Amino acid sequence: MAVVPYERIPFAGTVPSPQKENEGMITGNWRTRRPIVDSEKCVKCQTCWINCPDACVNLNDDKPINFNLKYCKGCGICAEVCPAGAITLVPELDFEE
Amino acid sequence: MSIQNLFDEPGLKQITVWGRGVYENKEARDVVVALTEAASKEGKYIQAWENYVDLPDRIFVPVRAYGKISTEEIESRYVYENEAPDIVVLTEETLVKGINILSGIKPGAVLVINSKRSPEYLIKFIKENTENLSKIVTVDANSLSKSVITLSGAEGATDASGIGKGISAALVAAVVKGTEIVKFDNLLELIANKSVAKKAYDQTIVVDADSIQKKVFA
Repeated sequence: MAVVPYERIPFAGTVPSPQKENEGMITGNWRTRRPIVDSEKCVKCQTCWINCPDACVNLNDDKPINFNLKYCKGCGICAEVCPAGAITLVPELDFEE
Repeated sequence: MSIQNLFDEPGLKQITVWGRGVYENKEARDVVVALTEAASKEGKYIQAWENYVDLPDRIFVPVRAYGKISTEEIESRYVYENEAPDIVVLTEETLVKGINILSGIKPGAVLVINSKRSPEYLIKFIKENTENLSKIVTVDANSLSKSVITLSGAEGATDASGIGKGISAALVAAVVKGTEIVKFDNLLELIANKSVAKKAYDQTIVVDADSIQKKVFA
């Protein structure tokens, strides 16, 4: 076991302030169901982007909405609030990747 | 001397159960409690506890429950995590993905998964430490029973909800069929949902890990 000097141990389990992602708090393996967007039904109202508690919704002007699956923990709030019914939750093991 | 060989205990079997926070925290604990209590009836030395670092009150967080069953007095009773499990149980199938569940397993280890999918499909997701795995056991516990969702008994508090009422009844039956660590009759006396345990014992699928790894990764 590597010995870490006490000066380098973060205070009370804190992690460095993230710019965009926080490598110390990856939560993707909490997910049992994955959100999938039907791009034909999606009206780009951005309701899912407002409601996502982990800011996992990626918005693009030219591409359809997608999710940051490294941090998405599959809570399903996006599917619940979507007014167009474009988001469905699919069992995680249906995907090989 | 490393942590791994501090205690030389040939008679010791370590059981690690992975579950999901809130939804299967009680079921994960019930699996080790039922197995160790049954072993205690057979005169073995036992220990069962939950991982103190995991967060059982947060939904879907991977949580662990541990058990130790030994023919001799357990010397490593103050080691608070199972470093080298002999039996790994998953109360939910997606735990195979993204978590190093087989970390440190001993040769001849058995993996028990609550899933309706085939072992051939599930082994594809396990990327690390499969060399020592001897058997994969699957049982569709969700079709037989429902998970008891309660925090009663979590983190050492008093458990007012009874042992083996939900999917843990099916999972312990699968563990006994796959490993024969305790006698099935001794286990049946302890758990509440006996009919589910009997059905699960018949439905459990046990496959040899080497043969399916050759088939899948050939």
